[in-house]
Amino acid sequence: MERQAGELFEEFQELTASEFFRKNRQMLGFSGKIRSLTMVFHELITNSLDAAEEAGILPNIKINLKRVGKDHYILEHEDNGPGIPEDYIPKVFCTMFAGSKFRNIQSRGQQGLGCSGCVLLSQMTTGKPATITSAYKEDGELKGVKMSLKMDVKKNKGLVLEKEEINPDGTGVRVKLHFKEVSYSLSEQGAYEYIRRTMIGNPHAQITFTDPTGKKYVFKRASKVIPPLPKEILPHPRGVTADDLIFMAKHTDKRRFRSLLTSSLSRMSTKKVKELEKLTNIDFNKRPRDMTWEEAEEIVEAFKRMDFMAPPTKGLIPIGKDQIEKGMKEILNPEFIAATTRRPLTYRGGVPFIIEAAVAYGGKAGRLVGEQRKTEIMRFANRVPLTFDQGSCALTEGVKTLDWKRYGIRDLENAPLTIFINIVSTNVPYLSTGKQSIAPEPEILQEVRQATMQVARKLQKHIRAKKAAKEEAKRARVFETYIPIIMREAAILAEKEKPDYKPLLQKVTRKAKAELLGEPDDE
Amino acid sequence: MMNRREIALQKLKGLGEMIIEDVAQNKVPRIKVPSRSTSNIIYDDKKRHYILGEKYGVRSMGNVKQIKKIAQMLYIANFCKDLVKRNKTATLRELYYVSEGWDVDFADQQESNIIGEDLEVTLGMTREDLGLLPEEDGAAVYGELTVREGDIEINALKAGKSGYTIPPTIDEVEFIDHDVERVIAVETMGMYHRLVQEKAYKKFDSLIVGLKGQAARATRRFLKRVNDELNLPIYICNDGDPWGFHIAMVIISGSAKLAHVNHELATPDARFLGVTASDIINYDLPTDPLKDIDILRLKELLRDPRYKDDFWKREIKKMLKIGKKAEQQSFSKYGLEYVVDTYLPEKLDEIET
Repeated sequence: MERQAGELFEEFQELTASEFFRKNRQMLGFSGKIRSLTMVFHELITNSLDAAEEAGILPNIKINLKRVGKDHYILEHEDNGPGIPEDYIPKVFCTMFAGSKFRNIQSRGQQGLGCSGCVLLSQMTTGKPATITSAYKEDGELKGVKMSLKMDVKKNKGLVLEKEEINPDGTGVRVKLHFKEVSYSLSEQGAYEYIRRTMIGNPHAQITFTDPTGKKYVFKRASKVIPPLPKEILPHPRGVTADDLIFMAKHTDKRRFRSLLTSSLSRMSTKKVKELEKLTNIDFNKRPRDMTWEEAEEIVEAFKRMDFMAPPTKGLIPIGKDQIEKGMKEILNPEFIAATTRRPLTYRGGVPFIIEAAVAYGGKAGRLVGEQRKTEIMRFANRVPLTFDQGSCALTEGVKTLDWKRYGIRDLENAPLTIFINIVSTNVPYLSTGKQSIAPEPEILQEVRQATMQVARKLQKHIRAKKAAKEEAKRARVFETYIPIIMREAAILAEKEKPDYKPLLQKVTRKAKAELLGEPDDE
Repeated sequence: MMNRREIALQKLKGLGEMIIEDVAQNKVPRIKVPSRSTSNIIYDDKKRHYILGEKYGVRSMGNVKQIKKIAQMLYIANFCKDLVKRNKTATLRELYYVSEGWDVDFADQQESNIIGEDLEVTLGMTREDLGLLPEEDGAAVYGELTVREGDIEINALKAGKSGYTIPPTIDEVEFIDHDVERVIAVETMGMYHRLVQEKAYKKFDSLIVGLKGQAARATRRFLKRVNDELNLPIYICNDGDPWGFHIAMVIISGSAKLAHVNHELATPDARFLGVTASDIINYDLPTDPLKDIDILRLKELLRDPRYKDDFWKREIKKMLKIGKKAEQQSFSKYGLEYVVDTYLPEKLDEIET
């Protein structure tokens, strides 16, 4: 039987974001038992860190993971951030795409799916409500509320089931969620490793984690410096698309193309607009809302032929060499460490980024597999650990394509070595929606290599000096072993008394040491 | 004049004194060890055997890699000094086992052998002078020769059918009397017994020496001394192949490996009687075809300075040309006695006139 369009479209309905993600949860990163739990940790920790930093508070996070059945866990996550005002709690935890992150700004997360995604997963796998406790200041007064919430997926809104006032000691948010179909693992992709890496990228934080066996891990704060808040920076002309321009034109209060461009883009002076006028046939006195797609395309094309100053980089906040070293020292207690924060560069002509690299060698550096320490590469994007899809990531590739033998590492797989790479950018070029690997932009790849080489060279010096010291000790031992024997045997042979040979022993040891230090440097 | 024993003791003691004196003056002792590398082994045309050249290596007590070798060398030196003093000898193998109790170790016997050789060349003494003896006995000697070993006199005609065995301590053996005009040395004991049975010692007024393959150091020393001290000509009769040739040549001109002691071992006047390539043809001997390795070896011999005279060049080329070799016992084709009745008289006649 043939059906008319009208009939068909009776079934047509709008899908809310919550409904969409309920059906496509892998797009939130919730695929696989281990990965799902790691993603929950990621979302909650990231939010806590962001909130504390924005409020100027040194983050202190307490996490307690209880196992109540096979693949069934209760997670309690508590921070000391500014808290969330009562009215906003359902929005933050039960509405997708709520938040303040749709700006051209360097941030940990970028989707605004974080907390509500976790609540969604909890609700989908257990049917249990989320319990949120929030303590915050209002008009200088400390207030507290505890509520249990469910998500109305159809409306993309929260439903408050219960609510009570509490008397808090300090600000902060506490989240309690039930999960099934997740699993806690100590593997490289597991939740524990995620926390460990978070601590290296965020030495100003403190995390106390109690694992399902009841074991308590305290990751101590290594630095008391709260990172400055990143500032929003205007997009660079080389970094925009025709669609971006149309969007800007629709939402601007400027009255001409000319002023739209200078106010919405960085490095766009009136002189540059004049240059642009010569390159195109567009009337730049037109009103922005009249901008056509063809005009937008023409402008983007013209941008490609123009010279611009590199984008401003004040919006990029790297972790910083010293902070990285502090974080790695605290967690890895290595015998040697070197870190670098490189100068900002751009990829795709207009997106600024900074690469930070570090190596830690010896001590607890490297991943312990059985008795042996294996090299681990820790990747970060804006301080956030990237734990999945290592193989396809530009950061991994940049590190692995170095000739490590040149730097004294004979076998890159099996060395007590932790390699740290952080990419800082307003717009990190992820390869896929999971946001776990970086696209191989040539500029990024090249810069990762440069940064890694820089720290690897220092490592090489250390390894060489260590070898030399070992060799020196070995040599001294050789002399101390054999000279007394030779003197004794020579005396017997000559039928004479042994002379005092201490001065000679000193002499040869000194000489051997000088020889060792004088060895040509093959750098 | 000092005897060999006293010289050895003096030289050993001197090595210790040198080190003690250097150290007393706060100088880093250095021992010069003549090089035994091939580049330092030179064929001396005048002496007609290999000698060591002028090159040497230095063992410095200030060098991490060399100091252990000095300790090892001194230990061996003391061990040898003790042997010489007490009039004893030890084999290299015994030396290696004794070294187990020392403060320096040797990786294997190979290493202790090498350090022992280092000591020999450093002091310019033979290993026998230092009381270190090879494992194996020397050749069998049959014929009218009387020697004295310590208190015992031995007549090589009355020592049984297997003859008098040359001991490793041949330098301590004194030649007392003899009644022969020549020495015939043969490669195999088979041929030795043939010559003894056919009374060749009587027929040719000769000592018969059974080499048992490649001649031991003691055998070579014996032949050298018989040649030098008793003025007897030495004739060597081996298989007619490159290996037989070379057994003869090592007796005549010494080996490269023992270049430092060849002046005591080589007998440049010894002569090769046969079997030559010409013999194979002239006596129409039963033969085997040359194997690849025989051909390779013959070509090597052609390049060897010891084989540079015309006789050798001619015979080697001839053998390559006919592509055949023959054993010395192949004369029995004409009867067991043929070698003594016909071949040897003809060859001796040819070589002595």
